Amino acid sequence: MAKVLEGPGMGLMKKWGIHVPNYVVVTSADEFTKLGQANDWMKASKLVAKAHEALGSRFKLGLVKVGLDLNGAIAATKEMIGRQVGSITVAQVIVSEMVPHKEEYYCAVKSTREGTEILVANCGGIEVESNWERVKRLCLDVGQQPTAEGLEKLAKEAGFTGALTKKMAEFAGKMFTCFDSEDAQYLEVNPVVTRESDGQLVALDAVTLLDGDAKFRHPDWNFAFAAEFGRAYSKDEVEVMAVDSKIKGSVKFIEIPGGDTAMLPAGGGASVYYSDAVVARGGKLANYAEYSGDPPDWAVEVLTEKVCSLPGIKNIIVGGAIANFTDVKKTFGGIINGFRKAKAGGKLKGVKIWVRRGGPREKEGLDAMRALMDEGFDINVFDRNTPLTDIVDKALQTK
Amino acid sequence: MSILANKDTRVVIQGGQAGVNAARRMAEFCYLIKRPLNVEAFVYPPDAGKTNEIPYGSGLIAIPIYKSIAEATKHHPSLNTSLVYIGADRAMKGGMEALDDAHIKVVSMITEGVPEKDAKLLGAHARKLGKVFNGPSSIGIISAGACRLGVIGGAFDNLVLSKLYREGSFGVITKSGGLSNEIIWICSQFADGITTAIGIGGDAYPGTDYVSYLEMFENDPQTKAVVIVGEMGGDLEERAAEWYGAKKRRVKLIGVVSGFCQESLPKGMKFGHAGAKEGMKGEGSARSKSDALKKAGALVPPTFGALGPAIKETYEGLLKSGQVKPVVEPASLPKLPKSIEEAMKADEVMVPPLIRTTISDDRGDEPCYDGYPASELINKGYEIPHVIGLLWDKRLISKQEAEIIKRIMMLSADHGPCVSGAYATILAACAGIGLSQAVAAGLIMIGPRFGGAVTDAGRFFKYAVDNKMAVDEFLAYMKKNHGPVPGIGHRVKSLRNPDKRVKELVGYVKSLNIKTPCLDFALEVEKVTAVKKDNLILNVDGTMAAVLVDIGFPVDSLNGFFILSRTIGLIGHWVDQKRQDSRLIRLFDYLVNYAAPKRREVPPLK
Repeated sequence: MAKVLEGPGMGLMKKWGIHVPNYVVVTSADEFTKLGQANDWMKASKLVAKAHEALGSRFKLGLVKVGLDLNGAIAATKEMIGRQVGSITVAQVIVSEMVPHKEEYYCAVKSTREGTEILVANCGGIEVESNWERVKRLCLDVGQQPTAEGLEKLAKEAGFTGALTKKMAEFAGKMFTCFDSEDAQYLEVNPVVTRESDGQLVALDAVTLLDGDAKFRHPDWNFAFAAEFGRAYSKDEVEVMAVDSKIKGSVKFIEIPGGDTAMLPAGGGASVYYSDAVVARGGKLANYAEYSGDPPDWAVEVLTEKVCSLPGIKNIIVGGAIANFTDVKKTFGGIINGFRKAKAGGKLKGVKIWVRRGGPREKEGLDAMRALMDEGFDINVFDRNTPLTDIVDKALQTK
Repeated sequence: MSILANKDTRVVIQGGQAGVNAARRMAEFCYLIKRPLNVEAFVYPPDAGKTNEIPYGSGLIAIPIYKSIAEATKHHPSLNTSLVYIGADRAMKGGMEALDDAHIKVVSMITEGVPEKDAKLLGAHARKLGKVFNGPSSIGIISAGACRLGVIGGAFDNLVLSKLYREGSFGVITKSGGLSNEIIWICSQFADGITTAIGIGGDAYPGTDYVSYLEMFENDPQTKAVVIVGEMGGDLEERAAEWYGAKKRRVKLIGVVSGFCQESLPKGMKFGHAGAKEGMKGEGSARSKSDALKKAGALVPPTFGALGPAIKETYEGLLKSGQVKPVVEPASLPKLPKSIEEAMKADEVMVPPLIRTTISDDRGDEPCYDGYPASELINKGYEIPHVIGLLWDKRLISKQEAEIIKRIMMLSADHGPCVSGAYATILAACAGIGLSQAVAAGLIMIGPRFGGAVTDAGRFFKYAVDNKMAVDEFLAYMKKNHGPVPGIGHRVKSLRNPDKRVKELVGYVKSLNIKTPCLDFALEVEKVTAVKKDNLILNVDGTMAAVLVDIGFPVDSLNGFFILSRTIGLIGHWVDQKRQDSRLIRLFDYLVNYAAPKRREVPPLK
């Protein structure tokens, strides 16, 4: 899945005929000032300025400002850009037209195992979450399109009456078209509002999750995907992603601040079981990582260096199941180089390393790891006869 | 017994190299269980009509490649299963093609990164047709002792260690390809091994779910228990729990659940891959899955490490109740013959080398010339003449020598379009012949009459100097034994019309204050021969030869300098003709002297 920020998300909705407020995404107050001179709507209506970053609780952080005039929006933009929130610097601000409205509604389209679900409620904003039973659903099989009648029935069920029923049905229909045409996995507008000026339903925000795997058939997806958790990617995470995009196989890396147990496991499935084991034994994860699909040794080396650079770590878990075709000797070669570099750079002091792995050339790979003991590494190496997650128990001394 | 894949499974593989690699793994398994290869055809339009060679034991089996599934099933009506190894952007089309063929009952897609919508459409289409669509992102399916589809099971050693050569009692369904071998291994160590293991793929919405396979396992009397191994997200485990709890089931269910770590992570933080989707109200969480499975009566070990003991406990229960009998392992198993490379790596054979080289080695990350890495030579300021020195004379020549060679190369790089080498190349270029052949045509012209006198000139001048011959003595010797002196004489140049190149080269070498016995001797020879006839001058071949012998290059390499430098010019001429899009050359009649007999009557055949 690939999360898309509000700006490009709104752009996709607009493409499929959904009304959205006027908006611009800017990277500096100067840029915004210039746009302000060129666009009449910025002078004519009240404005909302929001930090355009993958950040949770922007309201609390003062990164959303409403009811601004042009000068107020320029000031807000100036204040927000460059602000440091944790590891993230605000680099973009989205400024949109405020749409005066009375009622708020809800509409979402989501992927299900059988096909698609269209969700509609005649309440919106934070009210939806507390009134989840008011959300009505239309389930469609994969490949099936909603009918006008079906959508109207859905709107009626959700409590819409009169002319609004048809309007909401049409809105939901366009949401579905956008969802289906853009290979989305989740689209949500909360709230949908009636614009007082013309009575049109307008999407006031957009939560957009696209299917990153379908990028090949969407040449117009010229925007970057955002992190799915409540923060932007760190520098090291971005560097590992850059490596990942270049190689056969995969390397993944996500930092978890405050942890003391670093993970360097092989395989997407095993990596989670290792993480589970750490948590089950009372450990604190310092990161999530994974390499798989027989990646080149240099890519694993880069990943290893990042893992060794995590602050405050006491153990590194180099775990893995019995590989299908990942060359254990070769990938371990990358890890060993990474360890050596880290050690030469003054890292890994007081850090214990725990290894468990099987697969092609497992003996050679494990022997090479074991040999690190002679170089002064505090390393413990186990083979396939040690159950998968037992090294976590050993590291956290519960076994 | 087994499910999905058995002794009657006949496979077509859709795709290129990845499919061939899978077929090789499948052949290893067939060899282990002493059955014929189950792959009968490939579908890969770019190579249609050819064959892929798949090693089986110490032999090779040629498997035909077709352009479509229909063509493959027409020639091999026993095909019933397709493995899809096509790229993600074309995988759906390929999968649909296989599903729509009446012969094919099971399609397993190995391709990763298939868009969710495509995977769902494939799954729905298969259900409509009453077929099985497994995957995408499946690591494969393996039935112990019967059939392997894809690379699941890993390397040959692992197949043996995991006892996949014979049937056990445990079914395995896993979303994680990476863990499949681990589970199979655990089943073989803590119990009697597996019946069938299925990688259903780690995507959010795979084509099939646990329940469809649980039903099949329930109907397979050999399978006594099923291990399901989940990934974060999705609700497949809850659905499995629902199925298991719905009525009394014959098979025992063991489920490991992952994703508990999410509970301890900072809010909003989640990770994993495509399958990791959070449910709306706690559905799909590890806790919810684990509770549902336990409630339905399944055995749910608290951690992955506890899976082995849980399987052991189940197996011992089955033994005690007499539902399974202890297994007797076969006395011997086939051993996969090692390839020469593997055998050499293991120090098991010595192969006498076919050829021997003493100049270069490209086995590392870059070529080494006489031991020196190319990049290091470049970065330390060495140039092409030094590379020539290393490869032709196995020594690192001096700066001064390199300068001489550089000048020789530059002076002889080209000599216009009329000389035989350039003319031949141009002729070939105009006839539409490719670069390498056209340049080769030019190079073939190098011989005793064109540029090929360097080696011989060097040889004879060196002979004279080594034997301390006087010029007259040398000329007499040449006349008696070899004829005209190579390196002496020019077709157009003469004393009055000297060759600037020779003057330049001689002048430079002389300015260096080095010993040049051969060059000196050659110049002495010229003094005598030029008096006899004014075009019997020391030509550029002779000058190059004398100088190169003087700086120590082996005589046999000398023509090489001409070949190498003139290649630069020949390539230039070829490119030049291409650039102009030159037409085919036909010799004009007036350039030919038709000296053949005049037209006459053909006599009657006797």
